[in-house]
Amino acid sequence: MKLTHLLSASFLSLFSTVALSATFTFTAIPDEDESQLRTRFDKVADYLTEQLGVEVKYIPVKSYSAAVTAFRNNQVQLAWFGGLSGVQARRLVPGSEAIAQGFEDQFFKSYLIAHKSTEMAASTNFPLLNDYTFTFGSKDSTSGRLMPQYFIEKNTGKPIEQIFKRIGFSGDHSRTISQVEAGVYQVGAVNYKVWDTAVENGDVDTSKVKVIWESPTYPDYQWTVHSGVDEKFGAGFKEKLTKTLIGMTDKDLLASFPRESFVPAKNSDYEPIERVAKTIGMLD
Amino acid sequence: MIAYSRYSFVGHWQKITLLLLLMVSVCWFFADTEVIALDPWSELGRMWQGFVHPDFFATEYLLDALWQTISFALFGITIGLLLGFPLALWYQHPLVAAMCAFIRAIHEIFWALIFLQIFGLSAITGILAIALPYAATFARVFADILQQAPMHTLFSLPKGTDKLSAFIYGRWMHMYPQIVDYIRYRFECALRSSAVLGFIGMPTLGFYLESAFRQGHYQQGGALLILFVLLIGSIRFWAKPIMLWLYLPLAVYFLPPIPVIDSQLIWRFISVDVLPPMLQGQPFLSWFDTDKLAQLVNWSYTLISQQVFPGMVATLVLAFCALGLTHVLTLVLLPFNTRLMMPKVVILIMRAVNLILRSLPEYLLAFVFMMLLGPSMLPAIIALALHNSGLMVFLMSRQADSVSVPLTYRPRIDQYSYLVLPAIYPHFMGLLFYRFEVIIRETAILGMLGVMTLGFYVDSNFSEIRFSGALLLLVFTAGLNVVVDYLARRLLHYPRNRLQAC
Repeated sequence: MKLTHLLSASFLSLFSTVALSATFTFTAIPDEDESQLRTRFDKVADYLTEQLGVEVKYIPVKSYSAAVTAFRNNQVQLAWFGGLSGVQARRLVPGSEAIAQGFEDQFFKSYLIAHKSTEMAASTNFPLLNDYTFTFGSKDSTSGRLMPQYFIEKNTGKPIEQIFKRIGFSGDHSRTISQVEAGVYQVGAVNYKVWDTAVENGDVDTSKVKVIWESPTYPDYQWTVHSGVDEKFGAGFKEKLTKTLIGMTDKDLLASFPRESFVPAKNSDYEPIERVAKTIGMLD
Repeated sequence: MIAYSRYSFVGHWQKITLLLLLMVSVCWFFADTEVIALDPWSELGRMWQGFVHPDFFATEYLLDALWQTISFALFGITIGLLLGFPLALWYQHPLVAAMCAFIRAIHEIFWALIFLQIFGLSAITGILAIALPYAATFARVFADILQQAPMHTLFSLPKGTDKLSAFIYGRWMHMYPQIVDYIRYRFECALRSSAVLGFIGMPTLGFYLESAFRQGHYQQGGALLILFVLLIGSIRFWAKPIMLWLYLPLAVYFLPPIPVIDSQLIWRFISVDVLPPMLQGQPFLSWFDTDKLAQLVNWSYTLISQQVFPGMVATLVLAFCALGLTHVLTLVLLPFNTRLMMPKVVILIMRAVNLILRSLPEYLLAFVFMMLLGPSMLPAIIALALHNSGLMVFLMSRQADSVSVPLTYRPRIDQYSYLVLPAIYPHFMGLLFYRFEVIIRETAILGMLGVMTLGFYVDSNFSEIRFSGALLLLVFTAGLNVVVDYLARRLLHYPRNRLQAC
């Protein structure tokens, strides 16, 4: 056993270096439906390979923090980040840039949803949330955690711990919906696109749970590229990449994200997100 | 002894059991066990539909995931053994023992999250995350097993026999069957660990399993779960020792490509990431400036008072409640699992039930119960208790079967309680207290589900990219486990037995 292992380890180290030279690698986690990740994004990789003339590979990740780590370690040079994870990543990798965002991400928003037992109705005024149980989505989500927490604290003038009877993190937008529908939590914060899709597909019983408040808009998902890609993949690579992303018109590819199209973006678009993250203490 | 004579009818194990029940009821009083869910049936219906109509084709690269689950477990065990054997020989040394206790105390998931920073999303991360804590466990268990080796062969060896031969013939060979037995059992644990590592991004079954359940794709989730239970249930058919010579080279061959290890990443991790924010990038000498020290004290105080302390209390409360429930459940289920009480048919059915209970990751059990009972501690308690009693019953039924009973014995509950239970009870308690250590470690995963244990705060720190905070919490987590392990050993005067550890 020992010998096999030693031999194999030395073999491996030979192969591994070859396997990764000059491949442009990216990662992406869509905000809805994470099934068939590799199958879907390998098609995006094929499209990028074709357009950019370098080998492009997709690596699946499980969470935004894993994506940030992979980006920071230069294991991926391009990533489809959420608003907050993009800010985290660009702070950790100086010189990295937001180059494109989804069309919808220019004016993204969150919904507060409530179980019917709360008897709250949809309103443009901020609802009275005292003493309800409440769930966010994932801890590091922009639309399921960061912005909702900010809007709630801003509108009530109190930290969330003093408002709700119980605060949870469902871990995912679809789970926030199913948990509020089941009454596990009375109120929840959810990504508007995930909610709209769920209603459209009939995955949610709107007689049991409905939207009670719609947040102001903010910038969200974006493509962020590593510093130094121009040196590694040739001058003008970043520009070419930006054009290729924005020029993506194939509905099938865009559905993986899912976005209508991609539009140009820049780092300063995300200053509001960074400010908010600092306000609620998620960034130092 | 005279002073205690009034209570002498209460035996040693009764005292320990009463003490345990007292602790559990105190914790249960403080635990948050409110039942909240109002309307769980439509979601539970969807889950049920998923299990009734599992979709085995919904998962991409399914064979790949199955194979990687096995391959990570194989590598983890192999490297764990290579490290664990030498450590076992040095285990008498208190430093080695303490180091191993510390390493064991940190859950595989957290090891993986640490290695993720150093090695990135690579097979090394997953394999080391299994190998390291397993090595520490092997060290302790092998040391325990080897100590039981009879001495007579050692004395009968000719004079001048070299140390290595003396060790191999005199001690090792005596215990060889036990050691192989334990490794085989540990392989089952490694498969579970390997799957669970998928939750944080390793390409094993857990990767797809977690996504499927989190996003409500229950048909896919049901199929994956069925496959996983079958994989574990059929170990003895496909994992014969001789087959390892085939599997290991295959595992090496099919390992996903490993990115080059960047020594800068390792250096950055130990020189920057682990430092509290105010010390990062500061010259070493300035660390001792008064304002820096004040900031450091402030930082640690905030972390300890807002995260470590509440996390620790919640962890202990949850673990004690789960321990109490495990105790009761195991005692209730055990009679149904021993040939001294039940006919063969019942035992076969119960074996299947046990297999399912112990194969299901607690995370998923807790997830289902959360729908049913709401977001209190209750789902986590029940999940931990079910999983652990499944394991306890599996291990204890072998013990119960081997108890020798008089010919007049009839399979009735009174005779069972009088003849069988007392014979296995000390062992049962030993195992239970060992499980306590495991339960505390496992609260980590439930923390990721939102129960505010230490694991919850560790996970939060990792997701906010605050590694120094995460590491401080991990040190306290490990410390807690080491203390619990020590106290449990003291309380029980641990009878040494291989079955105590998993």
